[in-house]
Amino acid sequence: MSNPFTLNGGACLAMAGKDCVAIACDLRLGQQALTLSNNFPKVFNYGDVFLGLTGLATDVQTMHSLFRYKVNLYRLREEREIEPETMANLVSSTLYERRFGPYFVSPVVAGINQRTGKPFICGFDSIGCIDFAKDFIVSGTASDQLFGVAEGLWEPDLEPEDLFETVSQTLLNSLDRDALAGWGAHVYIITKDKVTKRLLKSRQD
Amino acid sequence: MASQYMLPHVQQPPSFHSTASQPRQHQWSPYTENGGVILGIAGKDYVIIAGDTRSSEGYSINTRTARKIFDVGSGIVLGVVGMSADGEELARKVARRIDDYKRNHDKHITVNAAAVMLSRILYAKRFFPYYCQPLLGGLDEDGVGAIYTYDYVGSFEREASRAFGAAASLITPFLDNQINLKNQFVPGTNGDEPRKPGDLPMDRVEKIVKDAFTSAVERHIEVGDGLQLVRVTRPPPREAMEDEEEVDEREKTAGGGVLTEVMSELKKD
Repeated sequence: MSNPFTLNGGACLAMAGKDCVAIACDLRLGQQALTLSNNFPKVFNYGDVFLGLTGLATDVQTMHSLFRYKVNLYRLREEREIEPETMANLVSSTLYERRFGPYFVSPVVAGINQRTGKPFICGFDSIGCIDFAKDFIVSGTASDQLFGVAEGLWEPDLEPEDLFETVSQTLLNSLDRDALAGWGAHVYIITKDKVTKRLLKSRQD
Repeated sequence: MASQYMLPHVQQPPSFHSTASQPRQHQWSPYTENGGVILGIAGKDYVIIAGDTRSSEGYSINTRTARKIFDVGSGIVLGVVGMSADGEELARKVARRIDDYKRNHDKHITVNAAAVMLSRILYAKRFFPYYCQPLLGGLDEDGVGAIYTYDYVGSFEREASRAFGAAASLITPFLDNQINLKNQFVPGTNGDEPRKPGDLPMDRVEKIVKDAFTSAVERHIEVGDGLQLVRVTRPPPREAMEDEEEVDEREKTAGGGVLTEVMSELKKD
């Protein structure tokens, strides 16, 4: 119970490629060492923008419904979909609002800017500091493992299919070395006019 | 009590009341953590053990040129991470015991015998352990690469690859994937046939080792400066050697290998 970030377990990863981005997560929900569910996705989409949320599961669900609400209002007011850069600032300010009683989550944003066509990924700490990256963003209990593998496998300007392989291999091999994450994975490959969602079978232990 | 509100660097006035009767707790901390990472990979007829050369304490770097891989004689190498003082002491002790073995038995020790010996050395200090994780490498009696890995008190296991130290959690899954080919399948089999590990040529493994270290350097502050890479390979065939005495020496090595060391640079920030 001591660390809310590692209580439920879970991992998330986003990578940028050539005119594409990928975001992926595991499916485990646990309470310490006990696995409660193997169908708990941590990546959600709000229009064209994707958000990965790892950390305390109750905060993951709360933030998901909060952003669904906020992005719906944005859509009504602006009469257009939200862009990833805007979403990043929305996530950041939402987290900073709770500066002294934070949501125990490490969010990841991924998407393609529909106006410019540029891939965008970024990550946050639990109080909203944005980490803009041009390569990859990791979060969750397997973050050490993800950093190590992603740093070794990622290269610039990957095409969608190669990006899928890189993201999947990075995620799967990292999950296999983390007892708190795993039990299947979701991978989204996002290009300007297409989103492919794949479900990965992985070790069930 | 004015002294309670004084800044810590201000000299406290002598107190005449407290010292004799008040209990004072003293403590001594015999261990430090000096960072760094090592990794070992065993191939069909070679062993590679590599380590970075940074030695640090907290956020300070003590030296950028500390070797963590030691030649302990008889074609056997020992890599150690954790507390460097304990690591060096352990390497000296192992080297001495391997030399003793050679003199007492008039033959080189085999890696598997050395592996058991190291386990006993570690367990002998069961209640004041060496604060280091050792990794022993060499060629076994069949000339096949062997890596033995230990915990602090001597539990050991022969493995194909292993990373120890500060960035072990970063490197281990990378090695799983690239050396043991985990989560990889033969193309066209629809994920039914896993790719079989082993049989990787040494030059390819060396590239993977270097990649593993450059990756770890990027994301871990305790890793960097230089890379020490030690290979153990089979000795060249007999006729190729000119010095007869040296031939005799090699002959006594039961499958023992030849060590070569390569030093290269890593990022220093």
